[in-house]
Amino acid sequence: MESDGEEEAAAATPGTAGAAPAAGRLKGCPELSVEGDMREMAKTAAWSVSSCKPGNGVASLRDDSLDTYWQSDGAQPHLVNIQFQKKVQLQVSRRAAAAASARFGLDGWRVIFFFLLNLLFGGIQLVVLYVDFKLDESYTPSKISIRAGDGFHNLKEIKTVDLLKPVGWVHISLSGTDPRETFIHTFMLQIAVLANHLNGRDTHVRQIKIYGPRPNPVPHQPFHFTSRECIMYSTIR
Amino acid sequence: QHITSNQGSQTIQTTPGRAPRSLTPTQRCFRIRLVPIPHRSKIAPRKASNPNPPVAIQTRPPPASLSPPLLPPSARAARRRRRRLLLAGAARERRAMETLMVDRVHSSLRLFMNRNAVFLCERLCAQFPAETNVQLLATCYLHNNQPYASYHILKGKKLPESRYLFAISCFRMNLLREAEETLCPVNEPNVEVPSGATGHYLLGLIYRYTGRVAAAAEQFTQALTLDPLLWAAYEELCILGVAEDANECFTEATALRLQQEQTSTSNLEKSNFVNENRVLSPNVSASLVDISPKHIKQLPANNTAEVPGYPHLRATALHVQNTVPSNVGQFDSPSPTVTQTSGIVPPPLFRNLHAYQNTTSGDAPAKPKVNAVNQPPRRKYLDEARLKKVTGRLFNPSGDSVPRRSARLSRDTPINSNSNISQFGGNGSDHSSGKLRVNSSTPSKLCSTAIRSVQVRKGKPRATENFDEGSRYEAVDEMWTDNIAATSSSLSIAEGRYFEQDKAERTLSQDSKMATGIKELLGLLRTLGEGYRLSCLFKCQEALEIYRKLPEPQFNTGWVLCQVGKAYFELVDYLEADHFFEFAHRLSPCTLEGMDIYSTVLYHLNEEMRLSYLAQELISVDRLSPQAWCAVGNCFALRKDHETALKNFQRAVQLDSRVAYAHTLCGHEYSALEDYENSVKFYRCALQVDERHYNAWYGLGVVYLRQEKFEFAEHHFRRAFQINPRSSVLMCYLGMALHALKRDEDALEMMEKAIFSDKKNPLPKYQKALILVGLQKYQEALDELERLREIAPHESSMYALMGKIYKQLNILDKAVFCFGVALDLKPPAADLAIIKSAMEKVHLPDELMEDDDL
Repeated sequence: MESDGEEEAAAATPGTAGAAPAAGRLKGCPELSVEGDMREMAKTAAWSVSSCKPGNGVASLRDDSLDTYWQSDGAQPHLVNIQFQKKVQLQVSRRAAAAASARFGLDGWRVIFFFLLNLLFGGIQLVVLYVDFKLDESYTPSKISIRAGDGFHNLKEIKTVDLLKPVGWVHISLSGTDPRETFIHTFMLQIAVLANHLNGRDTHVRQIKIYGPRPNPVPHQPFHFTSRECIMYSTIR
Repeated sequence: QHITSNQGSQTIQTTPGRAPRSLTPTQRCFRIRLVPIPHRSKIAPRKASNPNPPVAIQTRPPPASLSPPLLPPSARAARRRRRRLLLAGAARERRAMETLMVDRVHSSLRLFMNRNAVFLCERLCAQFPAETNVQLLATCYLHNNQPYASYHILKGKKLPESRYLFAISCFRMNLLREAEETLCPVNEPNVEVPSGATGHYLLGLIYRYTGRVAAAAEQFTQALTLDPLLWAAYEELCILGVAEDANECFTEATALRLQQEQTSTSNLEKSNFVNENRVLSPNVSASLVDISPKHIKQLPANNTAEVPGYPHLRATALHVQNTVPSNVGQFDSPSPTVTQTSGIVPPPLFRNLHAYQNTTSGDAPAKPKVNAVNQPPRRKYLDEARLKKVTGRLFNPSGDSVPRRSARLSRDTPINSNSNISQFGGNGSDHSSGKLRVNSSTPSKLCSTAIRSVQVRKGKPRATENFDEGSRYEAVDEMWTDNIAATSSSLSIAEGRYFEQDKAERTLSQDSKMATGIKELLGLLRTLGEGYRLSCLFKCQEALEIYRKLPEPQFNTGWVLCQVGKAYFELVDYLEADHFFEFAHRLSPCTLEGMDIYSTVLYHLNEEMRLSYLAQELISVDRLSPQAWCAVGNCFALRKDHETALKNFQRAVQLDSRVAYAHTLCGHEYSALEDYENSVKFYRCALQVDERHYNAWYGLGVVYLRQEKFEFAEHHFRRAFQINPRSSVLMCYLGMALHALKRDEDALEMMEKAIFSDKKNPLPKYQKALILVGLQKYQEALDELERLREIAPHESSMYALMGKIYKQLNILDKAVFCFGVALDLKPPAADLAIIKSAMEKVHLPDELMEDDDL
């Protein structure tokens, strides 16, 4: 299936990143700059962390404040789990799945899964973290792994990055080398802090954002309009 | 020179004039003493003691100087009398105070000193808790934007005006149920809706906001029948989409009816009111409408309309006179002899009305009794004819004889029964303002025309006096009754006839003027109404044609230009819409109505800079208007910052929850944030405000289409389409829903219709091609896309779709070419990946293609 291939392809990327550590090390930038055709998509997701200090919990990761941070309180690796819930779409998907199963001769849940990944979920393109080496020093992560899967049981690593004294927003693109694998279609994303700077034990992360492409303003249209003439007419306000 | 030569008349003027300004004890005494003079003159041998009685009485020495010589002859009697009069005087004193306060409140309101008005009016109500005063206080509160306060003081009041004010307060506080119950009590179905047309209008609004459209329409229609010139009611009917043809509504018949009503009201009134809306109000009860703050807003000059006791206006006039002492001479210009004759001749305006009385009573003119009989009706006419010129109360002797008192009562009755309040008051305010202008030597239309006409007729300067100093005549009349009644009556007959003729001519010319005025106004309203009605029915082409018929000065106003822009907006002609909106905004930068639509036009045109400039401007004009915040929200929405946009739209909703469009925009933003639950909620709110707001129906349709609830989507698109059947975009979306429902035939038909109705719209062409691809009619789809290319030659999605079709047709080189062009046109990242992968797989056999990617 495509999803498997995708994950394998993505899993290959850490190798390339590791091969050229100096070039692959991310530093972070002060501005959160994301292209206009992407949107933050993890607002409705369920966020959890492996451990936290009281008062520096998971909420600090999503409060849009750079002054607060999540601080882990346990053994490494420190994990942030993001589970996407798209109940409505799951319900809807059965219809489309039925149509597809007739067409492709696929059966049951395999089909549904296939469709969920490809049709209904926009896909994740970018993970952005805010970390600050100047403030957090030995709490600053130095090695981060991104894992994806259906749930806790089948997470697979899709990308690993090294950070070098980062200050600001660290953009981690999930695109592989293959142009087809721009997105990760998944129900669950796990961000694992494998190591910290200066061999620190616990970690600080101030913000995490997940970006994916925007849905087409015209529903059920395969391609986005690009020219002004078309966009002007494409919706009513 | 006048002052020295004619001391008597000067003092008369100044004495009553000084009193209202500041009521020092001595001045009060003046007025108390002033009162008994005619009374006393009958009993006391004053004339005998005076060497030259007529002159003494004519010139009427100031009471201060008059009293001392009076005291010696009958000091005891006078003292006794004074004691008696003190009580009566106190009552009059109080009334004068009330009058003065009411006047102050009104002038404060007129000059927008709202807090001052509230303070004074609270004092007034504490001292004189009459219901009219309470109403005045409520009006002050409403002006001061404190509907809760007026609600509190008016609760449970039963007078119609009170009920109307209470309903307005409730309405402003959004207590619609209570407002409705006040306007038409449930247990008393026969009670009439207070304050006529506006009452019905308010009730209609309440019905509309509570979703009873049919009842609302009925109320608006009723309001319109009561007052054909009530544009607001017609506008509401248009918004409800049930307005009858404006040509029916503002017809010649209406003109005739208005004119008849016009003539039925007194001629004098008309001559005084030519420029006032109130005259045009269809019945007397409707004129009470003017109490409403709305009308006060509309007719700022008339906001004294609800004056309950009018005499205070005289006080203002006098006050003004006094403050401009140099003008006093102007009124003293007549020599003593002139004063004498003017004492003989009653003020000309009521003379003719009085003629009948005089002829009947003229048989026994020498008897003082006749005069007593004669006086009350004359005074009454004086009041009704001249209205505010003469103040009955202020100068009415408290020690009156019985007939006089009854005269006052009869004068007061119509006021209490509220049939004429506003007319009296309105006239009064007009007059006082007119007087003010006269004193500052700017001729006011009212006074000066009247004066001029009289002057021409009489050719004597004293005519001026007759008008400006009616009160003096009254006072003089009282003193003169014994002597001059006979002469006066005979003279007045002659002059009365003369005057009647003259007046008939004037009336005729004024009637014809009025008729043309009414016709012109109705003609204007007809055009505007018809245009607005058609544009509310979304027959925008026709509406535009109507608007073009308007004369240039009317067309080039903010409202009309915005309406024209809106019509183009509904026709999805954003460039034209932009043109007209821009013009409107340049002409009247402070017009906010319609600017929300303008910002949406700029949003559609992707004019980011102009949009943000507009938003900034609107915010600086009025940061509490929902339109300004809608513009700001659109600005952020265009930058794809949907969260901030949402916040701004929500602010607009908070500022005015009855703006349907702000709700819809909120819904759009929630939809863009993929929060469909909230988006549906806001669309529903919008529909609650305005059921014919098709944008919200469309929004719901899109949400359901995204959620793949295709039946729902189709229903909502169809509703939107029924409201605005000319919109090619709506047709296209309806077609998309039909396609999703696998009713491809209907869908194709709908797309054809959309393509036909707007040739410039690329959306239905693209969608039609998609449907054809689904039906595997590849060649037809290609043809359609070729036509699309003529409109939008740089459209990436079109080339991507073409490439896909060529792949299906197995024309691989063309497919690769098309995909290449599509990639060059910078598709968004999501499409980029799909097109790239499609390109790579072009040479793979079909089975290995994942079609659903495309």
